[in-house]
Amino acid sequence: MAIQNQPDRHEPSYTEGEARSLDTGEREYMLDVRTQDMELNMGPQHPATHGVMRILIRADGELCTGAQPHLGYLHRCAEKIGESVEWLQYLPYTDRYDYLAAMNNNLGYSMAVEKVMGLEIPRRALMLRTICAELNRIGSHLIAYGTYGLDLGAFTPFLYAFREREWMMALFEKICGARLTYSYIRIGGVFNDAPPGWLEEVMRFCDVFDVKWQEYVDLLMNNHLFVGRTADVGVIPKEMAIDFGLSGPMVRGSGIDWDIRRDMPYELYGEICADGAFEVPLGTGAKGTLGDCWDRFYVRVMEMRESIKIVRWCLANIEPGPVLADIPKTLRVPPGEAYVAIENPRGELGHYVVSDGSKVAVRCRVRGPSFSNISVTEALLPGTLVADAVAIIGSTDIVVGETDR
Amino acid sequence: MDFQAIHDRLRAIQAPGLLGADEPRAPDPEDKKDKGRSGDPFVLVDPQRLGPFLEAARSDERLKLDLLADLTATDPAKDDENLWINVQLLSMELKHRLAIKCVLPKADPVMPSTVPVHRASQWAEREAAEMYGITFSGHPDPRNILLPDDWVGHPLRKDYVFPDEYHGISCK
Amino acid sequence: MGLLEKQFDENVLTTKVDWLINWCRLSSIWPMTFGLACCAIEMMAVGCAHHDIDRFGAGAFRASPRQADLMIVAGTVNFKMAERIKRLYDQMPAPKYVIAMGACATGGGPYYKFGYTVVKGVDRVIPVDVYIAGCPPRPEALLEGLMKLQEKIQNSSVIRKPARLA
Repeated sequence: MAIQNQPDRHEPSYTEGEARSLDTGEREYMLDVRTQDMELNMGPQHPATHGVMRILIRADGELCTGAQPHLGYLHRCAEKIGESVEWLQYLPYTDRYDYLAAMNNNLGYSMAVEKVMGLEIPRRALMLRTICAELNRIGSHLIAYGTYGLDLGAFTPFLYAFREREWMMALFEKICGARLTYSYIRIGGVFNDAPPGWLEEVMRFCDVFDVKWQEYVDLLMNNHLFVGRTADVGVIPKEMAIDFGLSGPMVRGSGIDWDIRRDMPYELYGEICADGAFEVPLGTGAKGTLGDCWDRFYVRVMEMRESIKIVRWCLANIEPGPVLADIPKTLRVPPGEAYVAIENPRGELGHYVVSDGSKVAVRCRVRGPSFSNISVTEALLPGTLVADAVAIIGSTDIVVGETDR
Repeated sequence: MDFQAIHDRLRAIQAPGLLGADEPRAPDPEDKKDKGRSGDPFVLVDPQRLGPFLEAARSDERLKLDLLADLTATDPAKDDENLWINVQLLSMELKHRLAIKCVLPKADPVMPSTVPVHRASQWAEREAAEMYGITFSGHPDPRNILLPDDWVGHPLRKDYVFPDEYHGISCK
Repeated sequence: MGLLEKQFDENVLTTKVDWLINWCRLSSIWPMTFGLACCAIEMMAVGCAHHDIDRFGAGAFRASPRQADLMIVAGTVNFKMAERIKRLYDQMPAPKYVIAMGACATGGGPYYKFGYTVVKGVDRVIPVDVYIAGCPPRPEALLEGLMKLQEKIQNSSVIRKPARLA
């Protein structure tokens, strides 16, 4: 289980002569204290690992000298199931790997299958898809916001975040009947039209959320204590972000101007961008160094407001029409393969599907953003304090269902 | 850049290991059994020279494919003799993607690791190794990542047999 | 309460020891912070203001198994995790209770057929008191499960009958 081949006892970083020239009290302290390396097991049951992940930390006193993430405590065989059940039957499983952003998963999988099939999606369905995906992004970022505060010892923001999230979940319940695992976005469109009055309620939600959003900013983002815990901690330089294959708020926090919704637009995002309805927030290093934990958190909080703007654009432009393309109950996908990447709340969610023309997929690969994003902790943790490890892991905003699938 | 331009550029710089390209095509009207192929185009690369290929794609100033988004494998069929290695590259700066496929024989699934080129492939290769039984020679940390260390078999192979029990817990 | 009824002043209540101890136990069930998967999000929702599990005295989520009475297994259990769950359960002090929340913890759920690493029900590893159906269950369902557990505690007895002499 040893992390690196390091000796158990460290030679102190100062010579004995240097220590002897110090003041009396300090001298005794420096000469006497020898710390032994300790292996600290964080998880799998730990409140700050956001699920069941285990990180083995090698600590020299308060300093973390090595880290090794262990995954697989929630491996649920999603990819094997993808090549065992029919195309449409797999949709509910896509809800469950990133359970905080189930709408986005449905969207990614549906788009990949639609690309192989060459399906044309009705415009109203695209609108509803965009509204739901963006609302789900807000819900996911609210959890990221609340639990990050919780990790750092602030309980109140968590309660605030769940207040708006409950409303959002009620909205989803009205449109598809489920609070968490929706299966609403189907291959070919969405599975039913919005009930009467739903779009008006979404508009009301947007109005209220705009006001509440300011509360979040005041409560946590600019909070002095919070800034103290996150600024200058866990800095990811640009080269490191690219080398590790990071995506989403992790790269935007490092100042890389990249958002799949704008730079490789899919569905309606090209039109929305052309209208200038949303912009991509970037980390600026306002409170510390560019690419620190605060920057990543800032990007997530700002993205919530951008998502509201996108929802408003859709509400202004939505028109009546059909919501589901004409597809048979038992889907046969023509032979072919496609890789479709969409912007999930956590980054690039890629679906690689291969079909041989039968009822069942040959391959159903999920490229989860959390999987790449958490790999950076291996390089980021050594050299930080043990207390900062929680801040760094929290700032990656992982969902273990997706790292392990 | 679109796929054709990327492929031309790769041929122009003589990217090591480049074998060809596969693009979607319509079904042949003469041949009723031919269903064509839909979806994305990809380039075919020799798996033994994948590392130098990735390095060339990254360092060329007109490609700049510097981010490895995904590396995975595919078992196309039970009676197929080969596995596929699928790599997705991305250039955030030039906003284009490239899909790569390598064909690796099931009889001897060994290929050099690409970790020296892209750090992102370290975990992806570990996952492909445990799920398909591929050996990435020279991998710095070749342990299982998702499955327990003493797991038997490679689950995503098409001929995988589900276990009966694990450590005394029945799987039926 | 038979003979003791109305023997004391008005502010004195008489009851059975069993009832009193059970009442204490069921009114302050401390669950362990133990989210595994999707159901954990609904468990978090129950802990928050809208559903408020504190109304039932079960809102003090403990991070350590040594301080907890109740383990809510909220999510899919796989073989890698099963050994950990067993160990965490062993670390909890008695009396301890387990709620299997959701289809996965109850019986493997949607992963029953093709999930090669999924344990088909957490009851193959540790004993379970209450099963809650749903994928994931609604917060109200978790509250109902908690009330069922309270009923179960209410009907238990702390007094042990002496072992019969041989």
